Amino acid sequence: MKATRPHPGGGALLRCTLWVWTVCALLLLYLPMLPPPVFSLGDKGVADALKNPSVAAYTAIWSQPVLLQAMRNSLIVALVVGAVTPVLAVLAAMAVREWRIPRTVLLINLLPLFIPGVSMGLATAFLFERIGLPPSLLSICLVNILWALPFAFLVVLTAMSQFDPVQLEAAWMLGANRWRAFWEIELPAIRPGIMGAATFSMILSFNETARTSLVQGANNTVQTYIWSTYKQIGLSSTLYALMTLLILVTLVLVFGFWSASGGLSRSDK
Amino acid sequence: MRPASWTWRNALLGIPLAFVTLLLVAPLALTFVISFWKRVGFGIRPDLSLASYASFLGGVRLAILERSLIVAAEVTLIGLLVAYPIAWFLALKTSARAARIVLLLFTIPFLVNYVIRTFSWSYLLSRTGPVNSLFIASGLTDAPLDWLLYSDFAVTVGLVMSYMPFMVFPLWLAIRGIDPRLIHASWLLGAGPARTFVRVVLPLSMPGVLAACIFGFVGAFGDSAVPVILGGTGYQLIGNEITSTLDVLNYPLAAAMSSVVIAAMVVLVGVWASLFDLRTFLGKALGR
Repeated sequence: MKATRPHPGGGALLRCTLWVWTVCALLLLYLPMLPPPVFSLGDKGVADALKNPSVAAYTAIWSQPVLLQAMRNSLIVALVVGAVTPVLAVLAAMAVREWRIPRTVLLINLLPLFIPGVSMGLATAFLFERIGLPPSLLSICLVNILWALPFAFLVVLTAMSQFDPVQLEAAWMLGANRWRAFWEIELPAIRPGIMGAATFSMILSFNETARTSLVQGANNTVQTYIWSTYKQIGLSSTLYALMTLLILVTLVLVFGFWSASGGLSRSDK
Repeated sequence: MRPASWTWRNALLGIPLAFVTLLLVAPLALTFVISFWKRVGFGIRPDLSLASYASFLGGVRLAILERSLIVAAEVTLIGLLVAYPIAWFLALKTSARAARIVLLLFTIPFLVNYVIRTFSWSYLLSRTGPVNSLFIASGLTDAPLDWLLYSDFAVTVGLVMSYMPFMVFPLWLAIRGIDPRLIHASWLLGAGPARTFVRVVLPLSMPGVLAACIFGFVGAFGDSAVPVILGGTGYQLIGNEITSTLDVLNYPLAAAMSSVVIAAMVVLVGVWASLFDLRTFLGKALGR
């Protein structure tokens, strides 16, 4: 691969500058992950939090039924979203491959990407209100699936593009019907992609605020709890502890999936 | 294959499409319809009234729309200036392995809720925060800079940090999709790196540039959390104006403002679709 890429002009200085530029951008993106863990250890300033760290905020979480309920809700929603979205994504990707209108299928399934959170939340809230679906975990799940679908779809689509459909034809010629051919030949081949889509969907659901907050009703997720408490009372070490937990869950999911899929060993395509 | 099983198969494959159509396309249309309805007490009544648009586009809210457009345009421009060099570098000047690692590193902060990251920025930019401490310690200023937080500057920083990672990916996809032989040919014909970039790479990466603009602009234009956290009391952009309109239960007005945001998105996506082909972009993923 590298050989086919021409490097006319080279330019060590340019490369160096661009490395610095990229690393700076990454540092600025990672910097905001540091304050929440620090402030979760105490809310009397950085120096105090680092000198007298206290895990009171974390232990306090377990004695607050509202928070436990929010965590339970977040977990249920994430599991449902993680289970349903990849299935939809696979079906959508198969429609792109088999139907004669691939661009329409693509555009519609990618549409949730282009809609700002408030507009999506508002629109679905109007719909649920009109059809008489009360705010519930179901309405939260539906909106979260909608939000995660385009990402899961792109992940599955990429995985499927690396699968040669000739193998399916071979299976059909050997007498397998379309479902069996998919189940026994293609599914195992694209399983990493599906696992990626599931992980991605769960992470997106764990980190969703704007859409969920408009269809939540009285049900809180950890995210909407943080947001509404911030708006009512402001930030506290409890909220920072919750943020820290969310960051940790996200990182664990990312690296868990990453190492499960073989890390970098299968790269360099 | 019998026709009956074909129909079942098509019905199954159509589920995601039906899901998005029912849960997003139809509700957006419903939002547009409700924007013409009338507010009656705490409820709403079907009507064909332009009252919401009049109250949105006349008076103080027009200034909010104007400010939202300017802020979104600035954020998009800054995001492009930051993301393009990175995407170009990753697509053409690094090994595939390094590009893969760096892109993964860009994905992780994007996955962590931007509301959480924005809370952190409100600390980082505060009077006693590290940015101000750094400025004072280095002797650049004597007193903490007030304009760092609760200002246009803070909102711009927050929005760029929220949506810039989103812009790297379409740019990278577009630049990586350029046929390397074209770059090589330009070099063989005697063009220097700068000329090759301006005449070959930049024009061919335009689908990615416009796609990145859509992500940056629509994201920043409709964002409802960053202006609340970093703009301070009374700082209104269209996104948080929608949520505060909902707090006072004026649904038709919220619907009207949301429809304007969606209209901006539709115009941008329409321009993109009329100029470029999705396949230039997702060609590899589509496998055709």
